[in-house]
Amino acid sequence: MAYRDAIDALGDRTRRAIFEQLRSGPRAVGEIADELPVSRPAVSQHLRVLKEAGLVTERRNGTRRIYRLDPDGLGELRDYFDEFWSEAFAAFKAMAEDERRNG
Amino acid sequence: MSTQATETEAIKRSVTVDCSVEHAFETFTERIHEWWPLAKYSIDAGESGSAPQTVIFQGEAGGQVFERTKNGEDLKWADVIAYEPPHRFVLSWNPSREQDRPRTEVEVTFSDEGGKTLVELEHRGWERLGERAGEAREGYASGWESVLKGYAEKASS
Repeated sequence: MAYRDAIDALGDRTRRAIFEQLRSGPRAVGEIADELPVSRPAVSQHLRVLKEAGLVTERRNGTRRIYRLDPDGLGELRDYFDEFWSEAFAAFKAMAEDERRNG
Repeated sequence: MSTQATETEAIKRSVTVDCSVEHAFETFTERIHEWWPLAKYSIDAGESGSAPQTVIFQGEAGGQVFERTKNGEDLKWADVIAYEPPHRFVLSWNPSREQDRPRTEVEVTFSDEGGKTLVELEHRGWERLGERAGEAREGYASGWESVLKGYAEKASS
């Protein structure tokens, strides 16, 4: 499932930082690297993982590659939260009913 | 591949709980810290890998829902925009350190169903995030980056 790839991709601190940056708009690799304590090649590698996970897309602008968040990938994340609420509800139900039994 | 309609459709959940409406409402709000899976779904869990001290639901319109981290920092998840015990509350939702982001809305209602309580949740407003098409849904999705990280660690361990 694509959302699992997305979740796994965001399990890395640096990739989350990159993802955060792209929330404020499209950026080039160099711009992203400037704000992080990692090299440009490392940023490129992380961007590749994010791209494979469907979270970002790239396009060329002259010699530069511009990255932005991919709305379809984010749609998968929304689907993931659908499951999240199911789990939260299960925990809530168990607690509400347990208390009742305990008086 | 998700369609546009699916992406902006409200998430709906319902569950029937074998207790009174009042008890169900209290459990969901005042006692949220007793059941919310904080070790998995919280900002602190995402950043440090373990659960925050607690989560607090301030039961009044204008109140907040926030987690208190292990370091004693309060991080907001939501503003309480309607609070009508024991039947309904509405949250303006953005569990993130970044508070100037588009927000989604979570409404939870509690109704009597033959002595049990039907709890219905609607998580909506995805289109607000989608208005800036190219950056769609980032506000919410990334707001949960820490949640995702916590989940990823659990899922992959």
